Amino acid sequence: MSIYLPIAELSVNIFLLLSLGGVVGFLSGMFGLGGGFLMTPLLIFIGIPTNVAVATSANQIVASSISGTLGHWRQDLVDFRMGGVLLVGAFFGSILGIWIFSRLVAIGQIDTVISILYFALLTGIGLSMLIESSKVIRDRIRRKSVKRKIHYHNWAHRLPFKVRFYKSKLYISVIPPIIIGFVIGILSATMGIGGAFILIPAMIYFLGMPTSKVIGTSLFQIIFITALVTILHATTTFAVDAVLAFFLILSSVIGAQVGVLAANKLRGEEIRALLAIIVLGVATKIALDLLVEPNEIFNLSVIRLVF
Amino acid sequence: MIKQLIILFYFLTGVLTPSISIALVIGSDQEEIYIDANFSGEELLVFGAFFSDPSQSRDSKSDILIEVVGPLEDVALRKKDSYFGFWLNSKSVTFRDVPGFYYLSSTSELTNEFLENNQIGLLEKKKSEMIDWSSLTTDWGSVINEKEKEEFYNALIRTKKNDSLYKQASDEIEIIDGNLFRSYIDIPNTVPVGEYNVNLYLIIDNEVSQEYSYNFMVTRVGIEEAIYSISKNYPFSYGLISLIIAIIIGWSGAEIFKRFKKV
Repeated sequence: MSIYLPIAELSVNIFLLLSLGGVVGFLSGMFGLGGGFLMTPLLIFIGIPTNVAVATSANQIVASSISGTLGHWRQDLVDFRMGGVLLVGAFFGSILGIWIFSRLVAIGQIDTVISILYFALLTGIGLSMLIESSKVIRDRIRRKSVKRKIHYHNWAHRLPFKVRFYKSKLYISVIPPIIIGFVIGILSATMGIGGAFILIPAMIYFLGMPTSKVIGTSLFQIIFITALVTILHATTTFAVDAVLAFFLILSSVIGAQVGVLAANKLRGEEIRALLAIIVLGVATKIALDLLVEPNEIFNLSVIRLVF
Repeated sequence: MIKQLIILFYFLTGVLTPSISIALVIGSDQEEIYIDANFSGEELLVFGAFFSDPSQSRDSKSDILIEVVGPLEDVALRKKDSYFGFWLNSKSVTFRDVPGFYYLSSTSELTNEFLENNQIGLLEKKKSEMIDWSSLTTDWGSVINEKEKEEFYNALIRTKKNDSLYKQASDEIEIIDGNLFRSYIDIPNTVPVGEYNVNLYLIIDNEVSQEYSYNFMVTRVGIEEAIYSISKNYPFSYGLISLIIAIIIGWSGAEIFKRFKKV
């Protein structure tokens, strides 16, 4: 059974879409990630045009991060003020990102740039997860417990325009969060990701936010950034496919809830190592597509009139 | 379709024009192909009948040729080159007014000479005008020489063929009872919307003896049309609607499972 996607202008198997959304949702629920970093490349692998994959992925992340934020909100683990400051940067970043994206589409380099960005991102994510999980597994075998610092004091605390963030118990300049938001905004608009993977470590290490508030706050700001990116893509690149988004959202929301349940029952590190291997596998596939001489060195794209 | 069948019937029984000696009649099972939510490509049936002139010498050869030409569009063809081991897009050429779909089939293999003489065939008739040589060459702005022009030109056809959008065959027309024929044409799910021309030729001894044309439309219908036109005409509202759907499903998903967990 297949469904025709009106914006991608092709038909795909409905069960393939549902299982793709379900699996990515499951992984995102299990690890508390948006899953955009897997969704976009997998959509491209199944033949969805790059621009549609990126724009629709952003739309799907809105749904999955709302699901996630609600849980953290109820437990009062969202620093709304910090989220707001990050969003100021993200707002301008995503506008720049959309502009870059449209330029790359116009000169025909979007596929290549997306591939390289994804290769870098996934390799980074995969390796760091693999190293982290293997360290935890090793420490567990040696029965060591890992101690972490609560606060990191660095240059971020010495800049002007200081603001008090009560929830995070921080008194820091707004410049670092705005810059972090800006970078995430660019990445979100060009890659169709929420950016939690970069945002969370940045919030912990650069801003010194308490770990308990980090996930909720990052999810909260990802809702708005991906919502903005969705609107920007809908109005400038016309690449948001509502039918594709609908099936992905439906299956990923269900998958994410199942993932959350599974995460409570299973031991984290082994699965985390498995996810790392999946991520590295996707990165390898992307690298091979870039490095191995393609069967067909020509590619064709229909030029559509831009309104 | 029924009307065409009736005409076909008259021709077969000789009631309508008993004196005609050479005739070509055709029909199709569809005058319109609808792209709806279930669309996954279609098979278009083209059928007809042809009658040879009794005075025609016995060893003269008759052939049927079916040509389907889809709506014209502009396409960018990009060539990948290796830079430091990476395969990246480099040169690009814009082709104007290229059919989005093209199908040519005949009962026997036709020579290029014949196609050229009769202005049939995909690019034969447009070879020189269709290529926009003021191309969008990137980077070094090198002039594309004749050899490269030809390379791009062949690549255009090849890539379209790989996408099942172009096809040329000589074994797809089925002849039944000597003068009835039919052919199933694969319309893949990636076809562009618009008007398609179907041209039929009866060829006797390498000369076009009869010619008949008609057209059919490929159109988006129902929800596919609604979504497509909203996305183009009201992009902001479209973005908002997409967001609202995401918010509703995301929110209700979390709520439903929260209750489910409590129970």
